[in-house]
Amino acid sequence: MIEHGPLLETLLAGASICQISDEEAFRRLKDEVVREELNHFLRPLNRRLAQSQDGSVFFLAYQELNSSAREHLSKEFKQTIQSLLPLLEWMQLVQESLGRDGALSAGDTIQFQEFALRTEDNQSLRQRFSQLASDRFFKSSSDNLDSQLKQVFKRLKETGYLHQPHKDRQFYLVTGKIEQLIEMVCFIKDEESLPLDEMPQQESMF
Amino acid sequence: MARTNKANNDQSPQSRLHALGVARLGLIGKHSEQLMHAYISGNFDESSVSESALDKLVKARLLHRPDENQPLALRPDVNSLIASLTEDERKRQINADVAGQLEQIRTRVKHFSDAQFRGDYAASEHHFQLLTEKVHDMTGQFSDAIASLWNRLNSDFGFVSNLGDKIRENELAQKQLRRLLDGFELIDFNELIELAQSSGPLRKLLVSQLQVTISDHASSLLEVQKRLVELMARFRQQQERAQLISNMAAFLKQHPNFVVGDYPNRSNVPVHFNHAAPIIASASVALDKVGDQQVLGDVVRALDISTISYVPPLESGGEFDLEQELAIEARHQQLKQDVESFFIATFEHREPVSAIDYLQTQGLDWDGEMWLFQVIAEHEGLAYQLRQRFDMDKKRAFASEFNQVEIISDVTIEVNVGQYGAA
Repeated sequence: MIEHGPLLETLLAGASICQISDEEAFRRLKDEVVREELNHFLRPLNRRLAQSQDGSVFFLAYQELNSSAREHLSKEFKQTIQSLLPLLEWMQLVQESLGRDGALSAGDTIQFQEFALRTEDNQSLRQRFSQLASDRFFKSSSDNLDSQLKQVFKRLKETGYLHQPHKDRQFYLVTGKIEQLIEMVCFIKDEESLPLDEMPQQESMF
Repeated sequence: MARTNKANNDQSPQSRLHALGVARLGLIGKHSEQLMHAYISGNFDESSVSESALDKLVKARLLHRPDENQPLALRPDVNSLIASLTEDERKRQINADVAGQLEQIRTRVKHFSDAQFRGDYAASEHHFQLLTEKVHDMTGQFSDAIASLWNRLNSDFGFVSNLGDKIRENELAQKQLRRLLDGFELIDFNELIELAQSSGPLRKLLVSQLQVTISDHASSLLEVQKRLVELMARFRQQQERAQLISNMAAFLKQHPNFVVGDYPNRSNVPVHFNHAAPIIASASVALDKVGDQQVLGDVVRALDISTISYVPPLESGGEFDLEQELAIEARHQQLKQDVESFFIATFEHREPVSAIDYLQTQGLDWDGEMWLFQVIAEHEGLAYQLRQRFDMDKKRAFASEFNQVEIISDVTIEVNVGQYGAA
């Protein structure tokens, strides 16, 4: 059990663990026996190991949904819903500015410089990005594109959607948390029976 | 196509064919630049060559005019030749017409058997050569087609730019592949065995060789098919995902007041929303275990801490500490008031009053430098008219003989009587 100490601590601190953010820890969590052990330890803390539907992300969930747990979840839920649109917008912006085929998914790399240059060169992208940066999720109060970019990437790193493998190198990996987000969007779509499929197809900007 | 046969004289049809072939291939080489340009742009620039050269190119069946109003373009055969030479997947053709080829093979076998039956050795050899070529043509086309399909697969259909195009290209490739596989079914080896009869070379060509090649190709094609289907699934998934994202974003923008269900308070909370609050596992130094004391002692000694240089850690970096702010503000106000009192005090004297003297006689506990600074600032901050009522004199001296920085050691203020009286 002692060898799982650091892993437990990371999980308890609220981190989501996927192959991209921490490969070693992820490999360990794939082991059913390890999960059993951790769950045994977590039970008195009213926590349990949970994973996203596609199995790509591990995180801690409440074991029993008592009132304090629900209170926390409600608060968290509100924030998540508020962050939904800015995050989706950001994903679209990255896809468009980098001329990607499909939507961002876990393991994709984003070169900060490349994204910055493309955004700077394109007036419409630039405007949309500035608007996005000032959203309360990203909380940038600057008018300057460079500091907006930095703030947005910083926030994405803080919230765990991006992983920066080298501290002094400006390239980022998209983590499994983005898959969780997509799963959540799917869930909301199905649950609220949103007529998304019948919406007019938005052609990409290119 | 053109083949030399030294046994024939110069006038034979074969040698004429040879000469014509060489001349026309040479034509391709001579105009390769313009032809390649036509391949890329879709039509031939008629002004790029002389009229006679243009005429030659048309006669050589390299160029044609698809329609009277259309510009000259490459003939389809030339187009596919270049596509195949350059492995250009955008234009490469997959020839899946197996039935037609089989028909030709059957005819040639009949020619061959007939010639053999007649005992015409030369003719039978010629027909066998053509037959061999036909069979190789057919298998060669298959392997070309398969190579082309692999190429498309391995490049993830990189020759078209967006996902929609890729999906359509993939669909097309799958259709071509199905036609090829259907074509393979048409090759009936029992029929070929019957055609070959007892002829050894025919059996070898039509049965054993072809069978090996076709079965190789078939297994290769099945692998391609599997991969194409997988890739298609990936493309579709990507497309769905991108659509989900853009549609959801559009929906949220169109419905700013959209309220989702209260999932956290349902009896069954969906796993997507069950994220537990973080717990920080903190620990402090504890001395209740005897064995630890030594270790902790070593740790503490190794730390370079002195109680004097201890700086309390900054609290909550982002926000101002209001209390501290207020204390500083209060002190500043006090200093201002004291300086004002000093200015008022100068009215009681006829001669200049030293600021430092005032500081000392009043027993104020301001730092001398800060005091002088505030006095000067206050004087300069006065409105012009008011300022003229006070004459300020700064006592200055160089810092040293070699350092010509002026240091103000004191300031005197004198009430300007003339001005005062005039007012």
